[in-house]
Amino acid sequence: MQIVTKGVAGTMESSDIIVRIEPAEQKGIELTLTSAVMQQFGKQIEKVIRETLAELGVESAIVNAVDKGALDCTVAARVKAAAYRAAQCEDYTWRTKQ
Amino acid sequence: MYDIETGAPLCGARLLEIQAFLAQRGLTMEGAADFYVVLRDEDGAIAATGCLEGRVLKYIAVAPSAEGTGAAATVVSELVSEAWREGIGHLFLYTKPENGRMFRSLGFYPVAQTDSVLMMEDKKDGIAKFLAAIPRREGAAPVGACVMNCNPFTNGHRYLVETAAKACGLLYVFVVSEDASLFPASVRLALVQKGTADLSNVIVAESQDYLVSRATFPTYFIKERADLAHVQTDLDLAIFTQRIAPALNITRRFVGTEPFCPVTRAYNARMKELLPQAGIELIEIERKDGISASKVRALMQAGDLAGVRALVPDTTYAYIKDHLG
Repeated sequence: MQIVTKGVAGTMESSDIIVRIEPAEQKGIELTLTSAVMQQFGKQIEKVIRETLAELGVESAIVNAVDKGALDCTVAARVKAAAYRAAQCEDYTWRTKQ
Repeated sequence: MYDIETGAPLCGARLLEIQAFLAQRGLTMEGAADFYVVLRDEDGAIAATGCLEGRVLKYIAVAPSAEGTGAAATVVSELVSEAWREGIGHLFLYTKPENGRMFRSLGFYPVAQTDSVLMMEDKKDGIAKFLAAIPRREGAAPVGACVMNCNPFTNGHRYLVETAAKACGLLYVFVVSEDASLFPASVRLALVQKGTADLSNVIVAESQDYLVSRATFPTYFIKERADLAHVQTDLDLAIFTQRIAPALNITRRFVGTEPFCPVTRAYNARMKELLPQAGIELIEIERKDGISASKVRALMQAGDLAGVRALVPDTTYAYIKDHLG
């Protein structure tokens, strides 16, 4: 998935995360994370963000996330929504229950 | 929970209502807002407000009854999302230093601060990247700097740069990036570059958002209007002394004497006071023959090309001749 513009999803409400994604000139994911629970879960949140982007095939992006204690599933959902918007892609492939 | 109301432009009854709310918090509204957010409680009373003006988040205020409810986070999140959707990738805000922690938790990072104002941006390394992109020259000392609008670049500017460059191993000329002048920022920058190309120890750089532009001046939350000028210049100088000068080893700042504009004169006086405290020497250079960019613009207006020619370098003249009328 190619990031072509700015995409945002989520909020700064409690238990949510806001994810902003924009195109990067260099390859790689440049991630800035602010979290209310940085000490305890910073690494885990970063891992979910990076894995979700990898799953979508995003190889290059600048990502800014402000987390307010979101669960992993919320983090993944917000990253996906922001990435789809930033890729101007509406061809969603919903994951089916296994 | 609150009802979230967003919209643009801010005018009419809504404007008056928000102004009244801000006035109760000691905030004065100035200028136009591109986008606003209002949170209302169950009774329809305002619980919190916030506006977006260009790249600046403004008028973020919370009613005492709504403090600690996450109202500010809701407001900021709406503003940030709107800015992002509008393609504005870099946001700034000005707040009281005691609010720094709260905005830090909302993804803003400190740029510089004075006793009364903290400037923040939503890029972790925004100013660091800006500074990293400015060329360095090893072993050049002393390093000087001047900040100029150059609207347009005149013989007066040229004289100042030349004189300052002689007194330095390396001179940075920061050209104000804000687009509020007759000559667009890109043109002003190019004319300074062309007009100083022969000076080997001069590096011309854009000031970007970090040498305070009029658009980003934090005038609105200052109660005493008389303090206003000081707050503005102090923040500008805080960015210079706390971030820019240390990164580039700048120990001298040059300004032209200001016989006309009282604001610039007050600014120069404030520099004289504050820069030495930060270990930076301020050097005033006598203005050459009273040449001013405003005089050049007046001559342009009158179509007096010969008059313009006498006051500006050939490089500036060539541009004006090609673009006038």
